[in-house]
Amino acid sequence: MTIKVLAFAGSPRRHGNSETLLDWVLAPMAMDPEVTVQKVPLTEANINICRGCNACEKLNRCVQRDGMDTYHDKIIDADIILLSSPIFCMGIAALPKALIDRMQVFRSRKYVLKLPVVPPERKGKRLGAFLSTAGQDWPHVFDAAIPSVKCFYHVIDIKDADISYLMINNVDEKGAIERHPTAKTDAEKLGKSMLAEIRKRLAA
Amino acid sequence: MTITVLGISGSPHRHGNTETLLDSFLDGAKAAGAAVEKVVLKDLDYSACHGCNACHRDGNCIVKDDAVPLFEKMMAADIVAVASPIYSMGITAQLKGFIDRGQYLWARRFVTKTLEFSPEHLARHKGIFISTAGQNWDHVFDGAYPSLTALFHDAGFDYYDNIVANNMDEYKGIKNHPSALKEAFDRGKKVAILLKDMKTE
Repeated sequence: MTIKVLAFAGSPRRHGNSETLLDWVLAPMAMDPEVTVQKVPLTEANINICRGCNACEKLNRCVQRDGMDTYHDKIIDADIILLSSPIFCMGIAALPKALIDRMQVFRSRKYVLKLPVVPPERKGKRLGAFLSTAGQDWPHVFDAAIPSVKCFYHVIDIKDADISYLMINNVDEKGAIERHPTAKTDAEKLGKSMLAEIRKRLAA
Repeated sequence: MTITVLGISGSPHRHGNTETLLDSFLDGAKAAGAAVEKVVLKDLDYSACHGCNACHRDGNCIVKDDAVPLFEKMMAADIVAVASPIYSMGITAQLKGFIDRGQYLWARRFVTKTLEFSPEHLARHKGIFISTAGQNWDHVFDGAYPSLTALFHDAGFDYYDNIVANNMDEYKGIKNHPSALKEAFDRGKKVAILLKDMKTE
C-alpha cells in the first residue's frame, strides 16, 4: 500500500510557525515506509490568482497555464491533503487564498458540469487537515479562515467530517511555536491518527 | 470643501457584478458633489506580504511596489469603498493580497505606536465594503468582514456600511437584481452628504 500525502505550506515566511506546525504533522507520516510525502511551499508554487473568467464552467479546465497544471493532478492523486496558513488580518494569507480560489475548476467540475472529481471508489478515502497559527490571542481569530478552508476541501471530495483542524493562536515571532506547551505533541498525534485512519479506509 | 471618495475594486473580472455595484455607489457619491476616483487592483503591481515583520521595527514596509502608495492614497480620502466578489467563501486573493500589505499600518498603531486616530478622525472617515456572491446563502459574506474590519481600522476608517448582494447566479447578474444598484447609488449619495455636512459644521 502506498499512501500519498500532499502538503501545501501557505506562509510567505519559510520555516515560520505555521510551516513548523505542518512539519510536525508530516514527521510521523514521513517516517512510514508506505508513505510518500510531498511538501509544496506556495512561495515556490507559481500559482496565479483566479481570473474569475468562469471558463472552467464550460471547458472543465483552467485557461491559465502555471503551477496548477501540476498540482491539479497531484490534488486528485493524494490520499491526504494538508494546508497550512498563518492568519493575516483576521483571514487566511493571500498565497493560500490564491490556491483556494484556483480550486474553482474542481467546483465547476463537481457542481456545474456534475462530473466526478475523484473516481467513485476513492470517495470517502481521502482526508484533509488545516494547520494554522496566529499572532493574536483571540480565540475567534481563525473563524473567518474556516469557510474558505471548507470550500477548498469540499470541492475535492473531502467532506466536513474528514477535515481536521489544528490552530494555534498567540504565536507571533518566528520560532514562537517551539515554546508552545502542546502544539508539537498535538501535531504529531494528528499526523499519526490521520495515518491510521487513512490506512483503515484504504484497506476497507 | 469637496469630499473625496476612493473606490478600490478587488475583482480580477473587469466590469463584472461587484465592480458594477461599486460604480453605482461611486455615481451616487458623485451626484452628491464628491470627487470620485476608482482604482482597479488588477491594474496594479504588488506582491503578497512577505511576513518578514520588518515593519515591526520602524513601521515601514520594505517591499517597494504599488501597495504602499495605494494605502497613502486611501488614507488621504474621506470615504473609501472597497469591493470584492466572494470567491470560495472569502474575499479574492487579489484583495486579500492588498489588505495583508497593510501590516505596516498595524505595526505603526500597535508596535511602534507612531500612528493613532482620534475618535473625531474616525467619525469623519468612512469605510464601506461592497460585495456580490453567486451563492444565495445569507452567511456567504461572513468570512469577508473580519479582514475588512482589520483594513479599515488600521487605515483610520470607521467601518460604516456593507453593501452586499448575494444570489447573483440565479439573478444572472447584478443588472437583473431588483434593488441592489439603486440601493448602492442611494447609499453612496447619503454617505457623501453626511460627510459634507460634517465638514461644513
